[in-house]
Amino acid sequence: MSASANVEVNIKDCETADPEKLAVFEKHISDGGLIEPNDWMPEAYRTLMLRMAEHHANSEIVGALPEGEWITRAPSLLRKLALTAKVQDEVGHGQMLYEVAQDLGKSRNAMLRDLITGVTKYHNCFNYPCPTWADICMIAWLIDGAAILNQGTLAHGSFGPYIRTMRRINMEEAFHFKHGEDMVLTLMSGTAKQKKMAQEAFDRWWDPSLAFFGPNDRPDERERPAMKWRMKTATNDELRQKFVNRFAPAAMATGLVINVCKKDENGLVISATPDPKLKLNEETGNWDFTQPDWDEFFKVIRGNGPCNKDRLALRRFSYEQGEWVRRAILDGSTEKPCNN
Amino acid sequence: MLSKARTNVPLVSGELTTKEVGGFPVWEVFTQKKEPDAHLHAGSLSAPDASFAQQFAREHYGQDQECTSLWVGLREIFTCDTGGLETYEVFVQWKAGDKHEHVGEVEAASGAEAKIKGAEQFVGDKTNCSMWVAPISKLTKINSATDMIWRETTKQEYRLAKGYSRIVRQKWDALRAKKAVDAYQEEDLKDTF
Ligand SMILES: [Fe+2]
Ligand SMILES: [Fe+2]
Repeated sequence: MSASANVEVNIKDCETADPEKLAVFEKHISDGGLIEPNDWMPEAYRTLMLRMAEHHANSEIVGALPEGEWITRAPSLLRKLALTAKVQDEVGHGQMLYEVAQDLGKSRNAMLRDLITGVTKYHNCFNYPCPTWADICMIAWLIDGAAILNQGTLAHGSFGPYIRTMRRINMEEAFHFKHGEDMVLTLMSGTAKQKKMAQEAFDRWWDPSLAFFGPNDRPDERERPAMKWRMKTATNDELRQKFVNRFAPAAMATGLVINVCKKDENGLVISATPDPKLKLNEETGNWDFTQPDWDEFFKVIRGNGPCNKDRLALRRFSYEQGEWVRRAILDGSTEKPCNN
Repeated sequence: MLSKARTNVPLVSGELTTKEVGGFPVWEVFTQKKEPDAHLHAGSLSAPDASFAQQFAREHYGQDQECTSLWVGLREIFTCDTGGLETYEVFVQWKAGDKHEHVGEVEAASGAEAKIKGAEQFVGDKTNCSMWVAPISKLTKINSATDMIWRETTKQEYRLAKGYSRIVRQKWDALRAKKAVDAYQEEDLKDTF
């Protein structure tokens, strides 16, 4: 569902790389060339690419957890089919991205375990609750919409296996997004109760959607490895602005109000007031908007969000429960693990 | 009002207590979108053996996106130099970033010979290509004519973006029309009464 917005890497590795090879590599990239797994690459490139793909993969499978919970409560058969297909797609995205990461040198098992034990992270937006069906609608519309914007630029990156995966993933994200738009329009053309439910969910998801693209740009953003080596082709703030330009007018056209919200520790909105900054800036042609609450963002990313513990507990539960199956497949032993 | 569906899951943290089993080998999957297109590399997957690899490939690469044929093989067989006298399928990635595509087949005594023959017949003097060859005895081929891949028995539009374009347009039109009518009625009331 989402790509890693910010993964840092120690660039010391690249200083120790063979300077001649590094120069050829960097020229190849700046000429628009692509890198395949068997090509020479600086260790820092490999590490950064691996972390990006791993973080992205983690996000896909954790993102499927809140959505999976709503399959049984989908309001119609069609919605149930579509949500099931979406969840299947997301887990599939995770599987493809784990393969990309694995080929860069970390085993799938190690990645799945690091996710559960908190060594690695997944996208922050999945640490928020989905209390109503409208949250599912907003995730599909806003978060998948944000993911398409982001992944569209990642598809112009420099690493062959990752960009091939992005292209395929984006075709499926397009379905998620369109289905999301359909669901939001259904609610916003419905009864007062449906509209209220949509507005409340929108209030919960607008901020995480803005924060989806990661923290504000640093002054040297373009000189950093991720952009210098064309793993990312747009900055976080550029993508965020693009998102607001596209979604703010669309949301308002449906009748939704863009609010600045305060949330309690459960991620539920306690106050909502219309964004005072929101307007089309005639000079820049961009929509002005209030930045998401970055203090809250960093608090949640450090593990103190409303759903961090539940998401990981569920992932751990399925992983541990599945261990005997994996073992039975591999060595025929059907003994169940002693701790369950 | 928050979800209660998963409240029986214990909140545990720290190291995992389960012993992990070994990893699964990697398999490469090729799909053909429609006849008579070439088979293109769709991606890879991890699976314990050939039958699981086929199941996963069908589920993951065959049923997410429509295709008429699907080939699966253990990653090693595409780069292996050994092997016996038989037919080898030849795949070429013309330049970095592209997918490996099926270009044809050669008769050869080993993987190494298949690569030489494949290069002669299909690649010529083009440079910077990557070539894979796979002995057909080790490649599983699944054909939708005899063995269903894409679920045609039910309509699949709900899992494609294009399945929503018409209804979304209709809903936008209706919403905008309703807004226009509301605005008009408001004006109407103001002016008239
Ligand atoms: Fe998605
Ligand atoms: Fe996804």
